[in-house]
Amino acid sequence: MSNTKPRIEYDLVLVGASPSNLTLAHTILGLAEKNPEFKFSIAILEKAHDFGGHIVSGAVVHPSIFTKAFPDHIKDGMPIEAICKKSYVSLMAYHEKWDIPSILTRAAAADFVKEGYYILTLSNVVAWMAENLKAKAAQVSNVKLDLFPGFPAMEIIYEGDKVAGLRVDRTGNDEDDIVYSKLTCFGDKGFLSKDLIKKYDLETNPQIWSVGVKETWQLAEDSENIEGKVWHTLGYPTLDGTLGGGFIYGLKNRRVTIGLVISLDSSNPNIHPQKQLQEYKKHPWLQKMLKGAELMHYGAAVLPEGGYASLPKKFQVDGALILGDALGLLDVKALAGVDKAIESGYIAAKVAYEALKANDFSEAKLSKYQSSLMASPYMDKFKENRYFRKAFIENPELLRDYLPEVLSSIDQTKAPVLGGLKVGVQNPFKATKAFLRSASLLNNAKEIKEEVVYKPGYQHIDPNFNKVLMDRCHGGDDFAKTTVYSREDAVFYANTRYDEHPSHIDEFNSDTCLTCIKTYEAKSLDVPCVSDCTAEVHRLDISSGNIKVHAMSLENCVQCRTCELICPEQNLRVNPAYAGAGPDFKGL
Amino acid sequence: MNKDLDIYVLIKQVPDTRSKAGVNPDGTIDRAKAGKMLNPFDAFALQAGLNAKKMGGPNSRLFAVTMGPPPAIDILYQTLEHGADATCILSDRRLAASDTLATAYALCRTLEYLFKKNGRKADLIFCGLQTTDGDTAQVGPEISERLDFTQVTYCEDFSISDNLLHAKKIIEGGTQLVSAELPALVTIANSYTKLKFKSLRGAQFVQDVKRASKEEQAKYVEIIDLDKCEADEMRCGLNGSPTIVSKTWKIGVVGGNCKMHQGKAASELVSEVFKDAVMLKEFVKI
Ligand SMILES: Cc1cc2nc3c(=O)[nH]c(=O)nc-3n(C[C@H](O)[C@H](O)[C@H](O)COP(=O)(O)OP(=O)(O)OC[C@H]3O[C@@H](n4cnc5c(N)ncnc54)[C@H](O)[C@@H]3O)c2cc1C
Ligand code: SF4
Ligand code: SF4
Repeated sequence: MSNTKPRIEYDLVLVGASPSNLTLAHTILGLAEKNPEFKFSIAILEKAHDFGGHIVSGAVVHPSIFTKAFPDHIKDGMPIEAICKKSYVSLMAYHEKWDIPSILTRAAAADFVKEGYYILTLSNVVAWMAENLKAKAAQVSNVKLDLFPGFPAMEIIYEGDKVAGLRVDRTGNDEDDIVYSKLTCFGDKGFLSKDLIKKYDLETNPQIWSVGVKETWQLAEDSENIEGKVWHTLGYPTLDGTLGGGFIYGLKNRRVTIGLVISLDSSNPNIHPQKQLQEYKKHPWLQKMLKGAELMHYGAAVLPEGGYASLPKKFQVDGALILGDALGLLDVKALAGVDKAIESGYIAAKVAYEALKANDFSEAKLSKYQSSLMASPYMDKFKENRYFRKAFIENPELLRDYLPEVLSSIDQTKAPVLGGLKVGVQNPFKATKAFLRSASLLNNAKEIKEEVVYKPGYQHIDPNFNKVLMDRCHGGDDFAKTTVYSREDAVFYANTRYDEHPSHIDEFNSDTCLTCIKTYEAKSLDVPCVSDCTAEVHRLDISSGNIKVHAMSLENCVQCRTCELICPEQNLRVNPAYAGAGPDFKGL
Repeated sequence: MNKDLDIYVLIKQVPDTRSKAGVNPDGTIDRAKAGKMLNPFDAFALQAGLNAKKMGGPNSRLFAVTMGPPPAIDILYQTLEHGADATCILSDRRLAASDTLATAYALCRTLEYLFKKNGRKADLIFCGLQTTDGDTAQVGPEISERLDFTQVTYCEDFSISDNLLHAKKIIEGGTQLVSAELPALVTIANSYTKLKFKSLRGAQFVQDVKRASKEEQAKYVEIIDLDKCEADEMRCGLNGSPTIVSKTWKIGVVGGNCKMHQGKAASELVSEVFKDAVMLKEFVKI
């Protein structure tokens, strides 16, 4: 019976209804509209049950990218939370907060000046993009656009050396399960495109990932109105030497979004991202803001931080393009990835359209994607900021030793000056060298002599990590209980839903876990997957032989992929779940 | 191998229980405004229909049938995504305010119309146990009486062999195994297998149908009215409904004092509950 069915086939298949891919689809429809004779088909695969359901972002984004890619976005009702009226960069000590004077911010942290930017709930924007796309497709009859929310791409199918399609369904019958394509575009934040990068040996430097944990709160009626205000913070609670920072964005209708981004190239085996976010909220300033507030949503996602140095050798292979975060287009110095993701989709649309017309999907034909993207003005800053990550990798004392000194002087005198002096006096030679060197890196020095070696996050993890540093990430006990949630309770606000028995995370070898557990137990530490999971998934069970074994409560998983990235033994793989299962981040 | 089966699933669109839209302050529902969904009980019936189709011969067919206003076409498309072969909606203003008797009559006319059109009578009809908006559980049994089909209610599992349906029924205090001759009408309990996610091909097929011409669409989603199925309008809608709802009132304040405690550690929730609940404190003391 099966061999009578035609193959499921599209000209263009987009993996992930991401900002990048939805821009691609929107733009290519625009091109097709002008040439009604030319017919083609597009399918969009999205693992979330509803569009936007698996999107976690900040997000503060410059309006210009929307004006460019979605000129009618205002008329078409794109949801905008607020326009940033005032942005701050702040140093967070345990008790005090010091807003860097705006004149200094403009000089030293210009990337974080966000006035005039849109403040967005990206999950809602993505849902809007999908609706908008449906409406547009109804007008463009020469393009057949099929949308598949709830259908994740599970495996890349190759024909020879060319990407030929994706395994999507699981009936066991290839004809019903595989979607074939002439051109596949990966805007999937690495879920599947990591396999592509590996297969074609595209890696230059390993990607450095960070994890972002975030909550949205409804503020009390009588709270101070902070709509349009944006804070980016450095310091408390990420004081273990890891690069990390917080963000607080004031949304309309008395809501606020509060998040922390913590790099996973940390030596600390127990980062506890969700717990650190709770610590963050214990800060007196946030305690005041959250008085009488109610938690609405919680979620987590990873961010590619490696930047320019981690870009793959090629952005395209025969039959496929890589976009957005999957490519690593985030500029961590400005916490900006949405603009470049959209730009990648915009450029990919033009290249894909040309390829369709020429019926040529070879790497050579597609290579215009890489050259055009690299020439885009949206990539200028990204290129300029390319040594930012290196400064911190090369000079770990900046965050580990000097930052805490500066912060403690903020706690004592409400200003960072004394702390800075103290650092200089205690260790004049080393401090000066580190500062000068990092200053030149942070200021985008054109020449960088010493090469900094990038290592993937899990290779940094050190079971002998100094516990004193770990303890620095905890604040005081003076906080309202209603503002702090345990990890198991936070999951409730991620609205995870799994129908059957989920099995989307592979543990490759249980013996490997046994050894790992022993190693960390011996040091009285948690195993990294248990401590750093952003939901309540990984746990240790006592087996019948009275030994501790690794186990998972997969029904809690928010599919952030942190565990996969930090497992020191690389013993895990997080796959998308079938049937749209997982969190629902809409509104986060 | 069983013979080819013609299977019908009767479904209804109901107000979405998860959506807050359309709920009036007094607790009644504004149906026009409310979000809509496939009656959750019918999802089990649909899965039963899909499973039965697999049990039948290779040319077995599954039809989904509903009665309701035009937006109910949505749930028919949903059944196509899951693997129904064709669907039909009876939609007519004269059906407004039908009680179960009138509904069963109108649905019977629709079924008989479809039997004629499809060349033969159904072998199996599946219904959900009840609807979330009517809660009567009467329509299925009434239809089986009218069509003179064997009636199996509260079915939570079944198999088919030799023109016999072997069903596991829930009865008070236990389960009952019955074998019934086809044709049969079965109401499916919500302890049956949950409806599986739609298939990729189904999702693709429905998008194709939605883009197709009206004639092409009608092959999969037929819209009929009372005249088309030769129903007597005096037996439909208000005219055909002997049930008289003389008055509705609230039995005390249902849920008025209900406070949800959620999203915190169990220990915190318990202490919250205790803080509020004087009665509970008294109870625990005793
Ligand atoms: C906490 C946080 C804060 C941020 N703040 C900002 C900010 O303020 N400003 C800014 O510009 N950027 C910010 N970013 C970065 C920004 O969100 C990303 O750079 C951007 O979303 C990348 O877009 P993308 O197109 O690559 O797709 P993504 O947003 O990565 O979306 C990927 C989509 O693909 C889907 N998918 C993945 N795998 C599969 C599969 N196998 N099959 C089907 N579907 C799949 C996912 O479900 C998802 O819908 C932030 C990120 C985080 C996590
Ligand atoms: S999954 Fe990785 S981190 Fe977790 S116990 Fe196993 S080896 Fe250790
Ligand atoms: S199990 Fe892994 S992917 Fe799932 S929430 Fe935890 S860290 Fe994220």
